[in-house]
Amino acid sequence: MTTTQSENAQYALSISSARKSFGTVQVLKGVDLGIEPGERIALMGPSGSGKSTLLNCISGIEKLDSGTITLHGQVISDLDGGGLEKLRRESIGYVFQSFHLLPTLTAFENIELPAQLINMPKDERREKVYHMLKSVGLSHRSDHKPDALSGGERQRVAIGRALIHSPGLVLADEPTGSLDTQSGEDVLALLEKLSVDQGVALLMVTHDRSSARICNRVISIQDGLLI
Amino acid sequence: MLYLRLAALILVRTTVRHWREKIGSYLLLLAIVAVGVGAFNGIRQASRSASANFGLFNQAISGQSDFLIESPTKTLSADVLYSLGPLSGDPDWHLVPVIEGSITSLDGDGEPQQQLRLVGLDLMGLANLPNLSEAKFDFGEDELTWYDWLGSENSVWIGRKTAEKLGFDEGEAIKFIASGRMREMVVRKIIGVESSSFPDDLVIADLPTAQLLLSRPNELSRIEVIIDRPELRENVDYLETIKSRIARYLPENLAVQPTQNRAADRAAITAAFRLNLTILSLIAILVGAYLILQALDAAVVRRRSEVATLISLGVSRGVLFLTFLLESAVIGSIGSVIGIGVGWLFAYLSAQMLADTVNALYFATTIEAISLTWMDCVFGLCLGFSFTLLAGWLPARDAMQTPPAQVLSRGDWSPGFSWLRNRWIGTVLLVLGSLLLLLPPFPLEAGGKMAVGGFLAAGCWILGAALLSGHLLVGLAGLLRSFSSSPTSRLACSRLHDGSSRHRLAVAGLVVAVGMVTGMFQMVDSFRGTIEQWFNVRFQAELYISERGVTGAGTINGIDPSVMSELVQDETIAYADIVYVSYANPPEGITVLSGVDMEAWSTTIRQLWLKPPGSLEPVEGSEPALISETFARRFGLLEGGSIELETTTGKKSVSPIGIYSDYGNEFGTAAVDISTWKEWTQSERPINVSLYLNEGSDINGVRDRLRLSYPGLDVRNAAELRGVALDIFEQTFKATSALNGIGLVVAFAGLLLGLLAIFDESSRTWLTLRHLGFSKNQFLLSAGLEGAGIGLGAWISGSLVGLALGWLLIFVINVQSFGWTLRWQVPMADFLTFGSLLVIAGFLSGLLAATYWSHKNK
Ligand SMILES: Nc1ncnc2c1ncn2[C@@H]1O[C@H](COP(=O)(O)OP(=O)(O)OP(=O)(O)O)[C@@H](O)[C@H]1O
Ligand SMILES: [Mg+2]
Repeated sequence: MTTTQSENAQYALSISSARKSFGTVQVLKGVDLGIEPGERIALMGPSGSGKSTLLNCISGIEKLDSGTITLHGQVISDLDGGGLEKLRRESIGYVFQSFHLLPTLTAFENIELPAQLINMPKDERREKVYHMLKSVGLSHRSDHKPDALSGGERQRVAIGRALIHSPGLVLADEPTGSLDTQSGEDVLALLEKLSVDQGVALLMVTHDRSSARICNRVISIQDGLLI
Repeated sequence: MLYLRLAALILVRTTVRHWREKIGSYLLLLAIVAVGVGAFNGIRQASRSASANFGLFNQAISGQSDFLIESPTKTLSADVLYSLGPLSGDPDWHLVPVIEGSITSLDGDGEPQQQLRLVGLDLMGLANLPNLSEAKFDFGEDELTWYDWLGSENSVWIGRKTAEKLGFDEGEAIKFIASGRMREMVVRKIIGVESSSFPDDLVIADLPTAQLLLSRPNELSRIEVIIDRPELRENVDYLETIKSRIARYLPENLAVQPTQNRAADRAAITAAFRLNLTILSLIAILVGAYLILQALDAAVVRRRSEVATLISLGVSRGVLFLTFLLESAVIGSIGSVIGIGVGWLFAYLSAQMLADTVNALYFATTIEAISLTWMDCVFGLCLGFSFTLLAGWLPARDAMQTPPAQVLSRGDWSPGFSWLRNRWIGTVLLVLGSLLLLLPPFPLEAGGKMAVGGFLAAGCWILGAALLSGHLLVGLAGLLRSFSSSPTSRLACSRLHDGSSRHRLAVAGLVVAVGMVTGMFQMVDSFRGTIEQWFNVRFQAELYISERGVTGAGTINGIDPSVMSELVQDETIAYADIVYVSYANPPEGITVLSGVDMEAWSTTIRQLWLKPPGSLEPVEGSEPALISETFARRFGLLEGGSIELETTTGKKSVSPIGIYSDYGNEFGTAAVDISTWKEWTQSERPINVSLYLNEGSDINGVRDRLRLSYPGLDVRNAAELRGVALDIFEQTFKATSALNGIGLVVAFAGLLLGLLAIFDESSRTWLTLRHLGFSKNQFLLSAGLEGAGIGLGAWISGSLVGLALGWLLIFVINVQSFGWTLRWQVPMADFLTFGSLLVIAGFLSGLLAATYWSHKNK
């Protein structure tokens, strides 16, 4: 272990010597990374280099073979299933390439859901969601269901959903991957603005060097190592 | 608590909205639950109401009586009343002699109208009973003094319902056929409706009048005992002392027993019949549960990405599990409530049919109003609810195992049901089933038996085969793949060969249905074949004569001996085979003792002999008898031996000299020579006669002549009787084939749902194929082939287990339950037709599911 507990505390996320392989394929070969609160990082790398795997390890969906990941002072490999669920509910926001909005919920309800999951009082919650809808520029579409929204609009709802419960860390896996240039720009601008406003750390996987401009730092993954 | 709140939130926000969008499918689901519960409840109610009558009769007349004094043969001479000595004068109780028999009312044209049950009571004695009770019959307000009963020789009392149905008023004449004679009576009084338990078919007359009508002078069916102090009725100790006091003075051949026993005795007689119905209705509900499982699982697949997203957002798997379980619980409860209504309707519609069957096979009954009790409601609700919950369990687990969205987005994902791949579970079940066959049958009241081992083995085999069918499907697909060259068939084969859990589930469900249906095919066919052969032997005489109006094999009333002796004088008759029948008590339950012309039966009269007469040595000191197969199996006399039967004149030992097949009753028959029978039973009344006419006689001419001279008798030629008898058996299987039909429809619906889920799950594959230039027709064809493959696989596995079930039904369950050996017939043509139907239906289901899928994913 290279970092001490007190050092960890200053990071929103810290990863040390993370190793992960699928069968004989070694995907992560000792990854070290520290992200400070409010820091925005772009993660780049060739296809198959393990970017999504790293994100999945951070959210506890995949288990590391060795190494530690510490999120807000909690070592996630120490957590059981329930603890991981709680972590995901409270401390992480996720933005997917293909949106993954719930088809039966309206834009408003989709954003509201994570707040409901953490039992936010109703009045505060509605207030916040209303506010968030305004921030993502979709106040006029609040009662529409996902299939009535465009791709860009859906991703804006998804970003609202990722941030509504004020997580410490937002993980975004190619958030603009399914969008045209203009919508991509809008989404990036929104991500930047909200994470700056809320002081949220952002780890964003992207293939596009220009998207990286909203970030403070760009790191690359290659042959299972960050460079 | 938090769990529940979250689950409720998800239920309201997602599940309910899905319902609204797919209102059609959910209504269908509700309908499935409703039909399942309805079928079960309905069959229960209908069979109960059809047989309720046995018990009811007791409650109505002797609801007030505490004990019955009876002889083993259910008849006794009125003289016993004098021999009861100290019993009759005892101040602690009253004795009410009763005679009971069946009569048939005639309409204006002299045609039989309705079969009725005549009960003769000592009305004078009854009227003098001290405050008999609240529910005492109202025989007329102003007729409460004893002299009013005088002059009632030609009068009967009938219930209001019957009176209305037959169109009689008080004071009018009513015509009956009783004991083969036509009689005319006056309706003295129509009994009001206050006593709702008054059976429809009851006719009451004074004791001597009833004896005359039934031409059983000086005979009683039983003596009822009513204790003098009604307030002590519930006092077990008191009843026990009374019973032993009565028993002390009773002649040796009479027995006293509490009243309810009689009802139980009779109800048990139809137990076997009801058992069959119950099993059938359970199958209906099981099949319904399978459909629900398929439908809910399809819903899980449809919502897979939604579930995955929820998991990514940190919703715990327990909450999701709960949500899906709640969903099925809601469907289960609403469906069950509807089902109870459906069941009532079903019972209402089918009760007549069931009553006819029970009627024909066992005893004369009428339909009691269909009653829906609280118990029925609770039972139906619980049943529907728990089966739906069970059916929801697997899909809910499946939903719970969904990976989070970021994993799911990597590709097609087919989870769960991993136990379907485990070949050991299936194998163990098959072996376990075979071991269970060693279990001995479980004895029921009244001497019936239930093949517990057989039924359990059937269950194990079906389940085992269903679990193993997936492996067969995989193997079959591998085999077919090597023969297929086109991309469509290759694709279909490769997908089947891959053997996803969902493919296995679909084929397993079909195997259950196919196995049960083909098993039933064989039983019905074997039954029919055997019965037809039996009829060929049985109906060898030219004419058959029995009491008119009596259809039930179990009804014992008989023909007036003087009518019989007059009839057989007819000069066209070469030989008359007269048969006498009465009940007799073996050590346990009840059986039939019959009197036949032993000489003729052992030589000229043909039977289906299991052991021809003379092949068994009778035991020294026992009466030689020809016994039915059922009797032989029941009392272990297949290799000879002897058994004691209790008759009117005491215990008598009979010993078989031959065994014949008889599919007429399940209690067994022992036939002794007529002279012996008369001596033992102290009776002269024959039950029927078969007439062999002189060569060259005009059979129908003789029949018509006899019909005219004996309007009270039923005269039929062999062909007519065969038709009637076959009808009875056809009726018995009507319910079976109806349920078979339901089973098949459900199986196809299940296959359709299963395929829909499969295609939904492989959306990505299809989309990719579409990008690759796979045409829509190719897609449809491939989907059709996939469905056809499942149908074929299910047919092969299902037929194998079906053959095993057929064997089981015929050689284990039937033999153990009824003591009947049937000739096993495998209807090859039906099997093949069924197979092609399955393959075609599979193809169509695939096509349909694929069409729907591509319509949805345009
Ligand atoms: N469940 C799994 N089983 C086996 N191998 C896996 C699994 N998940 C990922 N891999 C492998 O791990 C490697 C990294 O995959 P990952 O999805 O992390 O790549 P990526 O960097 O996100 O690529 P892309 O930019 O194309 O999304 C790949 O070679 C992939 O095949
Ligand atoms: Mg990736």
